[in-house]
Amino acid sequence: MSRRDADQWDEELHEFLRQAINRRGFLARTALGAGSLALGGSFLASCKGKEAAPAAGTPEAAAGGSSGGKVLRISNWPLYIDKQTVPDFEKATGIKVQYTEDINDNGEFFAKIEEPLKRNQSIDRDIVVLTDWMAGRMIRLGYVAPLDDSKFPNRANVVDNVKDVGFDNGRKYSVPWVSGMTGVGYNPKKTGKELTSINDIFDPKFKGKVTMLTEMRDTFGLVMLGMGKDPAKATKADVEAAAAKIKKARQSGQIRKFTGNDYAEDLAAGNIAIAFAWSGDIQGLRADNPDLQWLAPKEGAMLYSDNMMIPKTSDRQDLAMAWINYVYDPKHSAQIVAGAPYLSAVKGAGAELAKIAPELASSPLVNPPDDLRARLHIFRDLNDQEETEFNRIFQDAIGA
Amino acid sequence: MAGTAGGSERHSRVAPYLLIAPGILWLLVFFVVPLITLAQTSVRVTGEAWWDGYVRALSNYGTQFSRSFGYSLLATLIALGLGYPLAYFIAFRSGKFKNLLLGLVILPFFTTFLVRTFAWKTILNDGGPAAWLLRQLHLLSEGGRLLDTTLAVVGGLTYNFLPFMILPIYVSLEKIDRRLVEAAEDLYSTPLGAFRKVVLPLSLPGVFAGSLLTFIPAAGDFINAQLLGSPNQQMIGTVIQNQFLEVRDYPLASALSFVLMVVITIGVLAYARVLGTEELA
Repeated sequence: MSRRDADQWDEELHEFLRQAINRRGFLARTALGAGSLALGGSFLASCKGKEAAPAAGTPEAAAGGSSGGKVLRISNWPLYIDKQTVPDFEKATGIKVQYTEDINDNGEFFAKIEEPLKRNQSIDRDIVVLTDWMAGRMIRLGYVAPLDDSKFPNRANVVDNVKDVGFDNGRKYSVPWVSGMTGVGYNPKKTGKELTSINDIFDPKFKGKVTMLTEMRDTFGLVMLGMGKDPAKATKADVEAAAAKIKKARQSGQIRKFTGNDYAEDLAAGNIAIAFAWSGDIQGLRADNPDLQWLAPKEGAMLYSDNMMIPKTSDRQDLAMAWINYVYDPKHSAQIVAGAPYLSAVKGAGAELAKIAPELASSPLVNPPDDLRARLHIFRDLNDQEETEFNRIFQDAIGA
Repeated sequence: MAGTAGGSERHSRVAPYLLIAPGILWLLVFFVVPLITLAQTSVRVTGEAWWDGYVRALSNYGTQFSRSFGYSLLATLIALGLGYPLAYFIAFRSGKFKNLLLGLVILPFFTTFLVRTFAWKTILNDGGPAAWLLRQLHLLSEGGRLLDTTLAVVGGLTYNFLPFMILPIYVSLEKIDRRLVEAAEDLYSTPLGAFRKVVLPLSLPGVFAGSLLTFIPAAGDFINAQLLGSPNQQMIGTVIQNQFLEVRDYPLASALSFVLMVVITIGVLAYARVLGTEELA
């Protein structure tokens, strides 16, 4: 191995580790697998089977509730905040914060907190941050405490397009931490042209050079938009049509992979030319790969939010409200997105961001212009039965 | 002569099995107990008939099942082909380098499985060294790729489980009394004959254990298929992982695991019978 190769390997490993702990938690899932690997998948399965049984231990005791009553415990996704906000908040309010980046996957996190919540026990967390559909499930199941508006004067700052959502009418239980867009990420050097449409991903010229996401709503949503359907009104027939299209492309070898955020690594390495991609990832990748483009296709892009919620069993809801109110100050929100390049859901944060990070504020990835905002779609809220049904259709389409 | 030789052969054939008995026992414990939990979960279907999970497991995932068994069988055979000569060399010919070589076999375990498999991604990259070399040799077309192919998945499985093949075989070979080989040669056996009639039969328990330790985890593995394969190379482990963690369809996932385990058990029993190790398996 030459020096150069070694350096390159080192660099790629570093990049991998960086990506691996990124937002959509590739590592957590695979590492879990690796842990049980010597035992084989069947044994992994059996372990998880136990977890499903009501008797099995949830990490109740492990988390260790602090008795002081003044510590605010927040669970969020990795790399989702700047370094300054937590100490600033502590100084401003006198509330101690235990900020944990332990959410790597909606389903997995839910599996962890489901049992104690069902039994009305503490999960030792006062704020959890989950994606729209999972937030919807939490709210439907009654696991979330309503937001106390008397302690939330900054509520007026919630931006209009996420002010009211299907899964939480009137935002009684949840407000976005940040939002992100799902669109098309591509490498113009590999595509040889600028892209405009979602359907470029089905162009046979790029056979074996494209990836889609394992997140059902993102992939179905984008493919449906490409077919001229509105994900906000997805019917079973729409979903089946999209699934058929995806399945055909998979079987023909058009689609190289269905990924979590590991598509980023393939895109950077040049293995793929086009990927369904999250805006924040591409913004992050650009530091090392300035060529990479994130496209909000002419047909539209998907908008998702990760939402702050207070578990109903939290005994420190007033502290949690103080935090929520604090981050809904445009200045504080700007500081957060300056450290984690996603979309603030706080009115006026764009202007504040321009003051502290002008180059970032001009990026459409962080501060989308109005015509782009108008093209953003949210997948319809699904009930449990539809969720299961759509998911089965999706899993069949992606061959997993 | 036949009588006494048979007796001592019989005795020395049992010893290696005793040595690997704890391993076999361990497998049994972690095979049977989860089986019960799994069986329970697999029939806990809400709203539909209890066998619904099994119907879906058997009707929709035949491809992934056959892929899993095909790939892992292939990986086991390749690992045996690579591992046996290596174990033989280490046991009989490596002299003072024996410990060093054994250390090298185990060395990959000092990094995690995930990172090792990921390293293969880098090596097999479209623009990586392996693809470049094969293109220069015209073994790979300009648009062809190594990563996300069947070759990559089987290669990854072989690589990752190879030490599990080498070590048990090495242990079996190491235990063989060299005087038996000398005796065979004294009786005018050719070196090949001595290997075939003395060394190989005595090392079969190691081959048996090695192939199980390779085949079973490989059949249930999902990391290799996930990292090194395309959606058309996904194995049953990927499906199970996905159904448990993403879709959270526990009955289906348990049914899939259960089917996988039953098939593997049957396979192991059949294999044990063929290799004549039914007393222990």
